[in-house]
Amino acid sequence: MNKKTADIQKGITIFLFLLPALLLFVSILIAPIAVSVYRSMYDWNGFSEGTFIGFNNYIELFTNGSIKFMVGLKNSLILAFFSVFVQLPFSLFLALLLGRRPKKERFFLSVFFMPVLISTVVIGQLWLKIYNPDYGLLNRFLDAVNLGSWKHVWVGEVKTALGAIIVPTIWQYIGYHMLLMYAGVKGVSTDLREAAMLDGASPWQVDRYIVIPIIKPIIRVSVIFAVTGSLKTYDLVRILTEGGPFQTTEVPSTLLENMLFLRNRYGMGSTISVMLILLCFAFALAITAIFRERD
Amino acid sequence: MKMKRIVSTLLAGVMAMSLVACAGSSAPADTGTATEQPAATEQPAAEPAAEPAAVENTDSSEPISLTMWCIATESDSNRHAYEAAIADMQAKYPNINFTWEAFENQSYKTKIKAAVSANEMPDIFFTWSCAFLGDFVDAGKVYCLDDAYQNWKSELPENMLGNTTYDGKHYGVPTTMNIVGLFANMELLEQVGYTEIPGTYDEFIACCDKLKAAGIIPFGCAGKETWCVTEYLESVIEKSAGADTLNDIFLGRATWDNQDVTDAVDTFQKLVTDGYFDPSGIGLTNDEVKNNFMAGKYAFYMNGTWNCADFAANEEFFPKVKVGEFPVINADKAKLGQLIGGPSDTLAVAASSPNAAAAADYAFELGKLICHYGYLDGCGLPAWTPYGDTSSVNALTQTVSEICSKADSFVLFGDTAMSADDANTYLSYVDQVYGCQVDGKAFTDGLAKDIR
Amino acid sequence: MGNTNSDIIKKTNPAAKVLMYIFLGIWALINLFPIYFMFTFSLKSNEEIFGANIVGLPREWLWTNYTRALGTGNMLLYFFNSLLVTTLAIAISLFAAMMATYAITRISWKLNKLTNAFFMLGLTIPIQASIVPVYVVLSKLHWLNKYSTLIVPYSAFALSMSILICTGFMVEIPYALDEAARIDGCSLTGTFFRIILPLMKPAVSTVGVYSYLQCWNEFMFANVFISDSQHRTLPVGIKALSGAYTTDWGPIGAALCIATFPTLIFYLFLSGKIQESFIAGAVKG
Repeated sequence: MNKKTADIQKGITIFLFLLPALLLFVSILIAPIAVSVYRSMYDWNGFSEGTFIGFNNYIELFTNGSIKFMVGLKNSLILAFFSVFVQLPFSLFLALLLGRRPKKERFFLSVFFMPVLISTVVIGQLWLKIYNPDYGLLNRFLDAVNLGSWKHVWVGEVKTALGAIIVPTIWQYIGYHMLLMYAGVKGVSTDLREAAMLDGASPWQVDRYIVIPIIKPIIRVSVIFAVTGSLKTYDLVRILTEGGPFQTTEVPSTLLENMLFLRNRYGMGSTISVMLILLCFAFALAITAIFRERD
Repeated sequence: MKMKRIVSTLLAGVMAMSLVACAGSSAPADTGTATEQPAATEQPAAEPAAEPAAVENTDSSEPISLTMWCIATESDSNRHAYEAAIADMQAKYPNINFTWEAFENQSYKTKIKAAVSANEMPDIFFTWSCAFLGDFVDAGKVYCLDDAYQNWKSELPENMLGNTTYDGKHYGVPTTMNIVGLFANMELLEQVGYTEIPGTYDEFIACCDKLKAAGIIPFGCAGKETWCVTEYLESVIEKSAGADTLNDIFLGRATWDNQDVTDAVDTFQKLVTDGYFDPSGIGLTNDEVKNNFMAGKYAFYMNGTWNCADFAANEEFFPKVKVGEFPVINADKAKLGQLIGGPSDTLAVAASSPNAAAAADYAFELGKLICHYGYLDGCGLPAWTPYGDTSSVNALTQTVSEICSKADSFVLFGDTAMSADDANTYLSYVDQVYGCQVDGKAFTDGLAKDIR
Repeated sequence: MGNTNSDIIKKTNPAAKVLMYIFLGIWALINLFPIYFMFTFSLKSNEEIFGANIVGLPREWLWTNYTRALGTGNMLLYFFNSLLVTTLAIAISLFAAMMATYAITRISWKLNKLTNAFFMLGLTIPIQASIVPVYVVLSKLHWLNKYSTLIVPYSAFALSMSILICTGFMVEIPYALDEAARIDGCSLTGTFFRIILPLMKPAVSTVGVYSYLQCWNEFMFANVFISDSQHRTLPVGIKALSGAYTTDWGPIGAALCIATFPTLIFYLFLSGKIQESFIAGAVKG
């Protein structure tokens, strides 16, 4: 009898604790998804009457090569790969290094995070100056070291354009993941570290066997951010290549925006966004599952 | 002609007054509700007009509010024209509480489309002509300007309304117009012995060869922004296949499957493969290319005549630059005076506006003034008949003005003329032609197939 | 504590130590370069920015770029608006996230895994796709052109990430603490406010920084939902500095500096706080 009232009370508490988040979440995020799912079944330009066409948009998305959805998807997956296997290890390395409390720890921590705080417009302009075919730093450098034959129109050639996007994207967000991991590293109690050191463990062993296992939940968060972030990447692509040359560097978000607001194909744009949501969600679940399995 | 306008304004005023008189009894109630709801007092003047009585307020004694959105941001070359025109209007119509907001060009496209979707448009809004406005007109979101136009007929030639006329009805007030100009850096041309822009295509090519031999790049073109490529490509097609052919294709009256066009595209591609274009251009933005041109890197730069103001403002560069028309390639089909361009910058009135009729009149008069000041500033050519002293207009714009006065026909920029979806398909093919991924045949075949 | 801190470093051999500092130093330089670039950029003319002098010091220090950036538009107002919107959005989302995370991670009930997965959906939603549906709703509610027009969506969009980060921190807190509190007669709500919240201090600064990143530079919502310049935020204001046909990049650089430097200074201050909170709130495992 008492248990039942306790259960009800618990239920109410849970509900009250979730209420603010649920209200915000459902009204601003979930409801629009529902609208997108509905609109993805229409051939609609955004303002006049639409026609219901069932799953035709989804079929066209995969069969009509000129929409370039598969190209966009491939590009963002390549980015996700580099993000997880190059960017994150590097961020973790920095976080562990700073976790050992070198001198000027605060200075380094702040400086390494700075590229994240700077507007993408500035980062984009900076890299355009690096890549510029005529006076860019990269080509000038290649000239200086007598490697003139390696020079390229970096953002304009099919071979190099995607790489030219990946490098700055990964670089800019190294600090982002580093800070996240650093916060985890700092959460590891000093007693634990000390005990391990007294047992004769080297600093690397401490990191490997004590710190990394403890911050695993944070690493999981980082991996999820990195993958979903890559799938939704947008800013630097717009600034550096605009999806070109010949739409080889399009990503789902640029295609989505083109459909919604440039080509006036609101239905197809909704279809892309539904696909993007499904993909991101599937990846997030898969990553969670992988991490759980490893435990 | 001034007389006519005054008369009609008076007439409208009388009509409005009689309407107000009828609705008079409800007026005190309005003010009552307005004070009760503090949230609604932000724009108190809009309140009475929003009432179901729907008074068409052309009356000069009844204060109303009008809002406008445009893209004349603070650093835009049109900014001064807008500010001057609006200042004039505000002084002339103190009873109209006019507010306006300027947004950045690219993001404005998103903004206005979202606003049309949600029925949140301002009374008057900036728009591009042809397909861009056409989609809104199809959806019934734009107020028809036929009635208001009657007062302005004598100052705004009807042929300037072609791009904003749908099913025989007028929906837009054009402000300025622009064409594609062939800008030349005469300092570089003189180095290879030319004091004028070559007038025939053969001479033009010979000139390019000489430039190339002298180590000067003939053309600068931003491959990263495909519209810049179309400035070249469309001129080449027009001067090979003729204005009518191109116009029919753009407006969907003819298919892309046309041998003359195929050949013209090949001609254009030959310019690319012959190395007349800066090979780096494929990775550059228009800002970068334009600055290269002004720094003397290219002999020619084909782009919109809106650049005249900018070139004229640069004291060092201005004396070196000349503007001309692209030479005729195939004299059997095309001739001089066939130009790419036309009025595109347009003001339109929202059908949802509570003061649509007043907004329509306001938009016409405002458009006329923006056009006037914009022309004086060199931002473009006037769509309205110019008036007043125009001798202060910079030399480049005056040359363009002469070219236009001798014009035979205008074909609007392809990406503006075509529907949004088609325009993007078109641009992606243009991109591939410039990158030599497809030839003229594949270009026309592909477009004939992909454009619905 | 101070002694043990540097123990790890002391134990490292000197050669490795030197290498480490060289590496950290080089990486620091690479990451400081954008700031130098942004600052010099903001003092140049188009001519220098495009080719003549891309990374050197400005030949002529065009401080007028700053007066133009401040004079045109209303950058100071936009700055204030951004600050207000961002701060309130962070506060709302942080509070909602803490509460939700508590319900998900520290109260055992049937659906907590599912609820967590549900909130993770938020990470997957492309902001472009939500613009029109949210706009239509806001318009129907006559809820446009206010500060709250942006604050509410921003806090909603920051929510998923906040919950995810908070979860990472909250599961670290030993469950024994809750049990002890419950035995002492503390209610679930009491446990949250008295035990958990104080221990979540390190999470507050971290979540704050990350939500800040999302809100401060957000452009799409701000562009569409706000149509009067009284409520305009910085990203839209800065974007409005570029013209349709011609763009002067110097003033844009200046505006970007105005938008970024206060952030950097605030972050430097905050990063100290983050560290202090780690030391103060470090949980003994």
